[in-house]
Amino acid sequence: MRVTEETKLATRSRILETTLGLLKSQGFETTTTRDIASEAGIAAGTLFNYFPTKEAIVMQLVADALDSAEAAFEKRRQDGASLEEDLFLHISTGLRQLRPLRSFFGSVLETGFSPARSANPNDLSEELRTAHIGTVGSILVRHGRESPTGIELQMYWLLYHGLLSFWVADGSPKQEDTFAMLDQSMRMFVNWLDTNGKTQRHNTPF
Amino acid sequence: MSTTLAELLNALPAEAETEDFDDVGPQRPLPPSPLADVVTTRIVPTGQLRRMTVLGTLQAKIAAAYTFRWIRSWFQNAAAQEKDSAETHFRVAVKVLDSMGYLRGAVMKVGQMLANFPDIIPDELITTLEKLHFQAPPMHFSLLREMVIEELGDEPANLFAEFDETAFAAASLGQVHRARLKSGEEVAVKIQYPGIARTIRADFRNLTPALLPHRLTRDWESLKSQVEYARRSIEQETDYEREAGIMTRVRKLFQEEDGIVVPRVFEEFSTQRVLTMEYLPGVHLREYLATNPSQEDRNEFARKLLRSGCREMYAGRIANFDPHPGNYVFMPDGRLGLLDFGCVTEYTDSNHWAHLGRINRAMTTGDENDIRNVMIEWGGLTADPKDADQLRCYYEFGRLCWEPYYTPGPYDFSNEAKLRRGVDLFVEMAKKRYVRNHASNLMQFRWQCGTWTLLYRLGACIDATPIIEDEVGAAGWDRSAFA
Repeated sequence: MRVTEETKLATRSRILETTLGLLKSQGFETTTTRDIASEAGIAAGTLFNYFPTKEAIVMQLVADALDSAEAAFEKRRQDGASLEEDLFLHISTGLRQLRPLRSFFGSVLETGFSPARSANPNDLSEELRTAHIGTVGSILVRHGRESPTGIELQMYWLLYHGLLSFWVADGSPKQEDTFAMLDQSMRMFVNWLDTNGKTQRHNTPF
Repeated sequence: MSTTLAELLNALPAEAETEDFDDVGPQRPLPPSPLADVVTTRIVPTGQLRRMTVLGTLQAKIAAAYTFRWIRSWFQNAAAQEKDSAETHFRVAVKVLDSMGYLRGAVMKVGQMLANFPDIIPDELITTLEKLHFQAPPMHFSLLREMVIEELGDEPANLFAEFDETAFAAASLGQVHRARLKSGEEVAVKIQYPGIARTIRADFRNLTPALLPHRLTRDWESLKSQVEYARRSIEQETDYEREAGIMTRVRKLFQEEDGIVVPRVFEEFSTQRVLTMEYLPGVHLREYLATNPSQEDRNEFARKLLRSGCREMYAGRIANFDPHPGNYVFMPDGRLGLLDFGCVTEYTDSNHWAHLGRINRAMTTGDENDIRNVMIEWGGLTADPKDADQLRCYYEFGRLCWEPYYTPGPYDFSNEAKLRRGVDLFVEMAKKRYVRNHASNLMQFRWQCGTWTLLYRLGACIDATPIIEDEVGAAGWDRSAFA
């Protein structure tokens, strides 16, 4: 029987939905691909036609959430906001979308977001990084800054990765400490852009 | 001099510099006072200073504030050897202040509190503390939106008909925004900076080890009790649900004819971290006085101010120990608005309450001996000569504070000499550690001094006795004359 594109999409969507439910109820470690396939009503082999690993499914969930976050950010942002406010809002909107995935987000934090990981242009995480950085660049330009240099983006990504790590482990009520940390980090970043960033711009080969 | 100390000293504003703090300075310039010189130049013994600075209370902040001021003059005048000693004190003070992460709130409190003491107001010290990077940043609107979503479940734009993105006032632990409810009411929304309540708790936990070296000193019990009291008070201040409950209770204490109003709380828009209350139109003390109101208008507000404090105390059994000018709104229709019930103590201890009753009775109907006896009880003193100086201070301070309340006829609260004597005594008692006998006593001093200073700034000349008579009756105390 020929599997239509529509059926493929429906199955893919069912796998994602099922995985989300299972990871939330029983956690990342104890959920197997077999559990996911069984719960989604497909053969284990079929699952691998869609996603090679459990981590890949999680990464797709993360990508979908962050994709919605980019759209949500554009809707939420307001004229007259300062640079640090916009940068803050961009990340906080992402965290809000990622919140349902927080308990197992750590499983893709290093492979998907580490500044030290090797870049692979075909990688989903690289797509995510490009999209996120692209928005940051346009925020900076919108605020009358020049396009960010490589070192500026690297500095930003280090902060972003640090924040995500902090958020995953944040035990404070409603992750309020992450908000404070995000606030301080964006202030620090903008201050750095205003001072050291300028110096670096002339000295860096990036 | 170490680089760090040099930097810190550089951060101190010049002697002549004055900062215009919102509503915290005196209205009328006072002539130079020898008292200010005494406060700013007296050497504080190391042991005493250390004890005061390791104590994480506002008292310690004041001690440190005095130190900042004192040290500047010291550096101008002192010999090299003495400078070394001064540096040590200064470092201790800075280190302790720096160790307290929540200082945004504490610094504001110190500023407000010191502002109630005209002439020894180290406004420039408040600036200095802020310059020493203690101030947590104000929340921008993006952060505030996230806090509102977390606490109230939706964006401010969806919850309110209008929401002003710019804060119109700083609260000690957050900030206040104006808004309009969809039902039409104008409101003020107070929002807390994320995590500040837990930071404060952590600060106090960190303070305990710092206090341990003092466990063998004679002040240990007092120190412990004061720290515990400060911890509880500041923690309570972070709990907006508690504040909302107190506001609702106090609001009911006043009737329309009192001309005193406590904002209504909108519970459906309030949580532990967000407090939405009725917006009261009007101005604070400084702006009010700038309109050159008549003596009678000022007197009328003074009566309301005194009545409001007494009503809270005697009928409500609570006291707002933070009677700084920012907590009062002078409304255009002549009503007095009361704001900020975060720094409130409830008199739940019946023994303590009964004791306050005995003090009141002695002060209003007793003779010198009766007054001395209640002061001995109040201070945990004895008739022993070693306590004589402390008793003298209490006696004089008590007489001074109560004088307007048992002297029939108009009392001139603008009498500078009396206020100066009160401030002098307060400083003397703080320096001699006489305000440490009972944790709530420092708070009581604050209430007394704060209220009086507000009346002083209003230039009030009123007969306070009928107000006191009206209000104290609600306490149900025995007020008959002593046999």
